Amino acid sequence: MIGLGLRTLLAKEVRRFLRVPGQTLLSPLVTTTLYFVVFGWSLGARLQDVEGVPYARFIVPGLVTLGVVTNAYLNSASSLFVMKLQGTVVDLLVTPLSHGEVLAGFVCAAVLRGLLVGGVMWLVAGAFSGFHVAHPAFALLLVLLAAVAFAALGVMTAIWAATFEQVNFFPTFVITPLTFLGGVFYSARMLPPGLRTLTLANPVFYLVDGVRWGLVGISDAPPLAGLAILVALAAAALGGAYAMLASGYKLRG
Amino acid sequence: MNDHVVEIRGLVKRWGDLTALAGVDLDVRRGEIFGLLGPNGAGKTTLISVVAGLARATAGTVRVLGHDVVRDYQFTRRAIGLVPQEINFDPFFTVEEALRFQAGYFGVRLSEERLVEILGALDLAAKRGTNARALSGGMKRRLLIGKALVHDPQVLFLDEPTAGVDVELRQQLWRHVRRLRDRGTTVVLTTHYLEEAEELADRIAVIDRGRLLLLEDKAALMARNAGQRLQDVYVALLQREREQREER
Ligand SMILES: Nc1ncnc2c1ncn2[C@@H]1O[C@H](COP(=O)(O)OP(=O)(O)OP(=O)(O)O)[C@@H](O)[C@H]1O
Ligand SMILES: [Mg+2]
Repeated sequence: MIGLGLRTLLAKEVRRFLRVPGQTLLSPLVTTTLYFVVFGWSLGARLQDVEGVPYARFIVPGLVTLGVVTNAYLNSASSLFVMKLQGTVVDLLVTPLSHGEVLAGFVCAAVLRGLLVGGVMWLVAGAFSGFHVAHPAFALLLVLLAAVAFAALGVMTAIWAATFEQVNFFPTFVITPLTFLGGVFYSARMLPPGLRTLTLANPVFYLVDGVRWGLVGISDAPPLAGLAILVALAAAALGGAYAMLASGYKLRG
Repeated sequence: MNDHVVEIRGLVKRWGDLTALAGVDLDVRRGEIFGLLGPNGAGKTTLISVVAGLARATAGTVRVLGHDVVRDYQFTRRAIGLVPQEINFDPFFTVEEALRFQAGYFGVRLSEERLVEILGALDLAAKRGTNARALSGGMKRRLLIGKALVHDPQVLFLDEPTAGVDVELRQQLWRHVRRLRDRGTTVVLTTHYLEEAEELADRIAVIDRGRLLLLEDKAALMARNAGQRLQDVYVALLQREREQREER
């Protein structure tokens, strides 16, 4: 049974991001649409198929994944960090909510925003490249796990961070580069051996690759590798965030 | 169960090298208004924070209604309402939303009746749909008080609740605090307005540098110092303490 306390936190967190839809939902949409217009549509006609898939279709999984994980991360990270900054986190800390409930509230709301953004991005992409999905359940599972993992990482960052710069460090310097270098725009098979090895060491590559198998039906690595890595990452991030909350680190003096 | 709602034993709290509480023992009795006084940095907020679970004790124990605040935190937090010293507000939400969310965190569904009652007591009825950001400073503080009351706590901690609140409303708040006490709520109040403590408190505690200097019935204290105001008694006490410290 989910208690009223957790449901309230979840409702509050969801209402919060719905209240600024321009920032939380629309702006990622504009960015993606631009990608599809530039790479998928205007340029895509001149680009070759990748492994038998039109380029516009090939880039969809990576861009959707990037949208999902960035928004999941940003939602929990910025919400909790701002609460810390404003002092409203006290309102939560004095309640009987357990650490697990606090974590679940932030993570579920963040996952919802990530999936909303990802879903709408996929719809936009579909308008350019078609709506056929090869393995929908697998794609959804992987994207869901990724959203959970990055939402929990957002909670960890918010607890630890002292400045907004630190909150933004992770998406700018970790998520985006790892995703772009993780084969959003190319197949690992197209790379020279050195770069290929590097790509295979990038965990986000397996995520993008697995989602591509789910959405498009092609992959460079075994899709189950992506699933295994994501399960491990989500479990580690949830465990880490729970441990931080339970220890009172930086939240309870 | 005895009649002590809050029992503090040997409470030590260090912030790094700084000792904010240097071994405090005190009890708060059921149904009283407990005035916790002391100069800036005395340790009042620190003490309240440990009881409410916002800070962890370095040593010692705190029990609320007989339950340990660390081990039985879910029980003790349900029993406690806290009005923090620092004003906070969430600029995303209205007064009504802030109150409803806060109640929900405690597992309480706020009835329309109860909502209206809280808004009325704090003179915020006209601001029900107003964004918290658009409240005046004193109104923001009253909203904090409202948030502390939503779950009908048995012990209410008011950490300088009337700072920045105008005279008329301050008196209205005093009336409200008395009304809460008369209905059985225990109130722990910190304030730098000595006349407020003199007016409201049933017992007075004074702490300085993390040590308890005085804990006495207000009536007895005032009788012992006939003809003086609480402010005079308080200033003399702190002065004596300072002189003794210098001698040592
Ligand atoms: N989070 C913290 N980190 C480090 N030191 C702290 C922290 N909170 C309080 N202190 C220190 O502990 C001491 C007691 O502070 P506290 O806030 O409890 O005083 P107070 O009696 O509430 O004072 P005031 O009347 O000014 O509110 C002060 O020296 C303060 O600097
Ligand atoms: Mg204080």
